[in-house]
Order: sequence, then structure tokens, then C-alpha cells
Amino acid sequence: MIKEKKNLFYGLIAVMLLVLPFVYDSRSMIILLTQVFIFAMFAMSYDLLLGYTGIVSFGHAMFFGIGAYTIGIFMKQFEPTVPYFLLAVLVTVVLTAILSYIVGLLTLRLKSHFYAMLTLAFAGLFLVLAEKWRSLTYGNDGFTFRTPEVFRDRFDFYLICLVAMILVFVLLTRFTNSPLGRVLQAIRENEPRAESLGYSVIQYKIIASVVSGVIAGLAGILYSMSLRFVNTSVFTMDITLDALLMTIIGGVGTLVGAIVGAGIIEFAHHWLTQLAKVHWIFERWIILFGIVYILAVMFFPKGIVGTLQNMKKRKKHTVENKDDKNISG
Amino acid sequence: MEVFFNLALNGLATGMLIFLLAAGLTLIFGLMDVLNFAHGGLFAWGAYSGTWIYATTGSFFIGIIGAIITGLILGMITERFIIKPVYGNHVQQILITLGLMLVLSELLKVVWGPNQLSAVAPSFLQGSWEVGNIIIIKYRVFIILVGLLVFLAVQYVLKNTKIGLVVRAGVMNKEMVQALGINIKKVFMLVFMIGAAMAALGGVLLGPYSGVIHAEMGMEFAILAFIVVVIGGMGSFPGSILAAILVGLSGSFMAYYVPDLALAANMLLMVVVLIFRPQGLFGMKG
Repeated sequence: MIKEKKNLFYGLIAVMLLVLPFVYDSRSMIILLTQVFIFAMFAMSYDLLLGYTGIVSFGHAMFFGIGAYTIGIFMKQFEPTVPYFLLAVLVTVVLTAILSYIVGLLTLRLKSHFYAMLTLAFAGLFLVLAEKWRSLTYGNDGFTFRTPEVFRDRFDFYLICLVAMILVFVLLTRFTNSPLGRVLQAIRENEPRAESLGYSVIQYKIIASVVSGVIAGLAGILYSMSLRFVNTSVFTMDITLDALLMTIIGGVGTLVGAIVGAGIIEFAHHWLTQLAKVHWIFERWIILFGIVYILAVMFFPKGIVGTLQNMKKRKKHTVENKDDKNISG
Repeated sequence: MEVFFNLALNGLATGMLIFLLAAGLTLIFGLMDVLNFAHGGLFAWGAYSGTWIYATTGSFFIGIIGAIITGLILGMITERFIIKPVYGNHVQQILITLGLMLVLSELLKVVWGPNQLSAVAPSFLQGSWEVGNIIIIKYRVFIILVGLLVFLAVQYVLKNTKIGLVVRAGVMNKEMVQALGINIKKVFMLVFMIGAAMAALGGVLLGPYSGVIHAEMGMEFAILAFIVVVIGGMGSFPGSILAAILVGLSGSFMAYYVPDLALAANMLLMVVVLIFRPQGLFGMKG
């Protein structure tokens, strides 16, 4: 019953977003929402690691960056046609899968500290690679490229990103509710116990890391296609931090939370940088978010969506208790 | 020969700077089981406050002392308000200290502006000595001496004083030390403050060494410090100085001979260590 209501609610929002470009014709709003969808995909992939498996990665930007650079290089070096686009997607999937498998194999058997540090270092390595491999990446300046005809229109691209986000959401919902996803959550809750129940924890963690890496790579593809430009900033810590802020503020362990978080951060970023003309302090909006983030980790470790869900549950609980009393009285 | 000697001196000096950063990190980890991702932020704060105080007062030593005091104060605040609520929860610690790192480096830009500042060595440390064909830059020798001094001082305190005994015992068995009537929380705070002060000292010494300081340098050096801590072994103090010198030397030699691989070399070293000896070269626990 509740689940149906929830699905209806999500469906309604999805339809509203689908109709929006036909009703409200604002170019900047469309572009902003496209960014939200792309980062929502990225944040959801991050949430699969952080929220569902309990792995802290500081190098998620490397998968994002690989996707962004792969599409850029394919479109620039070859021709901006649909077959090459599909090929680039395939290459991204393969590359990110292999990389996340290797990184996971090396480090996931270690303590969470090591994974965080190592992913940070690996992402640093890719940043250096992108800066130094000038013949392919044009160094720090990056390069512009053309995209296939199909993706040129802003409205079409908006719809494509929206559909991609909905697909990722549905897929990940299915994934996290599958028996495999349950095992991942068990690992997050109590790793030794999951292990003693006979699950090979490391393999499950690697699966989560591969799925998450591939989705992050796909988000990277859409990101650089929306800008038609790519430079080394896609590999920087800032991208990982964005995902982290979105997931933590939106709600860890709830895919909706990642989407909400992406919306909040992107809109806040947009508006606060506009406010920078009013007062320079708004240019340092990261401080505000950093503080909110620290407070969220301390007091609302479940983020906005998780806290709301808890409140709802508690309310229901007290109502039920009252009913019980009435019956017994 | 001159090239070799210069590179070695350069590498040693960088290694000592990384050591100052990594030492605090490893001490805090060894005693408190906290990995402080904000350590690079403390490093950058030390650099900025020290350089600023040096520029206003005109005395390099007041600058250094100012940086150390900044480190102590920031360390105290961090321990009290950020670290204390999340003891024992690794995931939360990692997340929260990273958030602090973000806030610290953005606050730097608010206080001193987003542009990089230039820093110069005081006149008595400028210039160089010439021995035969070899040029020895004074400031680098100074950094190496300070690094050694800090290492020996900390080593002496750890091995030969009562407080060092308490700290070492605390690393081994927290509950036992508490049961013997020692306020381990105070010790924790003290260690954290000293770790932060060492990072700040490293920061202020870096200024004249590289010529400029900028807000992002905290993260850059923090990555090097993490590599050092992993290679040397988490919580091992002698391990951290050896690994820091190793990383410093390999950095300076690689930068000269194979510049494109400079950062990759350290990373590969770390990967090899992690595969064959995950607890690090001198580590006790895995």
C-alpha cells in the first residue's frame, strides 16, 4: 500500500519533469536541471558504495573522468557519429569495470582507511596522467569537441539525461533490493557477521565497486557531452567532494536522497555564485556546505531523506501504540 | 656528482617537510586510531599564519612560533569539537575530517584571499655555501636540521619521559592505562595538538622553500603524507621518517631524470608495499 503510494509519487514527479521543458521554456533552467540529473546519477553510484556497502571512496572522480575523457577523445579523434558514441560508451564501461575491479581487489581487503587513502592517490594519478598525456588530452586546457547530431538539441539532451537518471534509479533500486543488495547491506551493518554467515565479503564488495564505477563512468560521459568540452577538472577532488556532499546531505543509503542532494547542491551552487555579485562571501559557499556537511555527519547521519523517513516511521509507530492501548482499554 | 648531491639535499629537505606532516598523522593514528584527513588543512593554516606573522613582525622565529601556536589551537578545537564525537567509528571519522579539510582550506581563502602568497627566507638563511663545485643552499640545510631536531625531540620524549611512557602504553592498551588512573582523554588531546603543531611547523617551513604558498597545497602534501604513512607503517614513528625521506628522495630524483613519472613512482611504491606488506615496512598491525 505504502509502496504503491511511493511509486505513484515518484512517477508523478518524473512525469512533471518530462513535461517541464514543454511548459516552462527557460534555457538556463533546462541546462541546470540537466546538470542535476547527471550529478544525481553520479551521486547514486557513490551512494551504492557509501550508503549501501559502507565503503568510503575518495577517488570516485577517476571513473567520472574516464567516462568524460573517453567520449571526448572518441568524438575528437574520430567522427562525432552515433556508432562512435556507442563505441565510446562500450570502452568506458570496459575501462571503468576493469579499473574498479583492480582497485577493489588491491584495497578492499584492507581497513576502510586504506581504501579511502588509496582511492585518493589513484585519482591523483589519473589527474597527473590527464595533465601529462598532452597528445591525447591537451593537458590542463582540455579541448572542445562536437557531439552526434542526435544530442545537439538542449531539450532532447535534457530528456535523454532524465531518462538515463530514471533508468539508473530503477536499476539500482532493483539491485539494492535483490539478494545481492541485501548481502551488501549486511556487510555495511556488520562485516564480521556477514563473513561468518559464509559470504565471501571481499567479492561482494568488489561487485559493488564495479557496478558503482561503471555508472559513474556513464555519468561522466553525459557530463562532458552536456558541456561539449572536457579538461582535467573532471579528475579533481572537487568532483568526488560534490558526490560526497550530495549523498551525505541528501541521505545516505537512500537512492532518492542522492537525487535530492544533487538537486540541492546544484541549485545552491547556481544561486549562491550569482549572489557573489552582492557580496564576495557567497563565492566561498563551500564553507557553508562544509559546515552543514559536518553537522549532518554528526547529528543527521542519514541526511534529509533518511531523517524524514525515520520521523515518519516513528510517527506511525506511536499511532499504532495508541491504537493498541485503545483496543486493550 | 654536483647534480647527485643537489638532488639528494633537495630530496632530504622535501622528505623532512613531509615527515613533519606524516609524523603528526601517524602519532594520532597510532594512539587514537583516528585517520585525520584534515591534517593537510592544518599544514596549510600553519603556512599561511606563519608567513603572515613573519611578514608583519619581520621576525622569522616569531613567525614559526606563531604557526606552532596556530597549530596547537586548531588542534585543540578540532579534537574537542570534531573528533571527539566520532571516536571508534571509522567511516564517520573519515567523512567528518574530510569535511573539516574543506572548511579549513576555504576559510584560508576568506582570511588571506584566494591568490597565492609569496614567502621568502630571512636574510641569514638566504644564499648558499660553495664547497668545491657543490652548491649547498642554506635554507635546505636548515629544514633538514629542524626536521632531525623534531624527530630526536619526539623520540626522546616518547622513550625517556613519563608522558612518553603513558602515550606508548596508550597505543598498546587504552583501557589498562585508564584503569591505572591516567586521564587518557587529556593525553589524546595533547597528542592531537602536538601532531597539529608539527603539521603547522612543516607548513611554515615549506613557504620559503617553495617560494609561494596557496590554499590547495594542503591536499597536495596530504596525499604525499598518506603515502608515507602507508609505506612506513601506520603508527610507527621511525617508519614515518624513513618513508618520508624515501619519498622525498625518490621525488627529487625522479623529477630530474623522469619528470613525467615523479608522482606515479610514489604511488607505485605504495601499491607494491600494500600488496606484499599491507601493514607497512615498520607497521605492527595490519
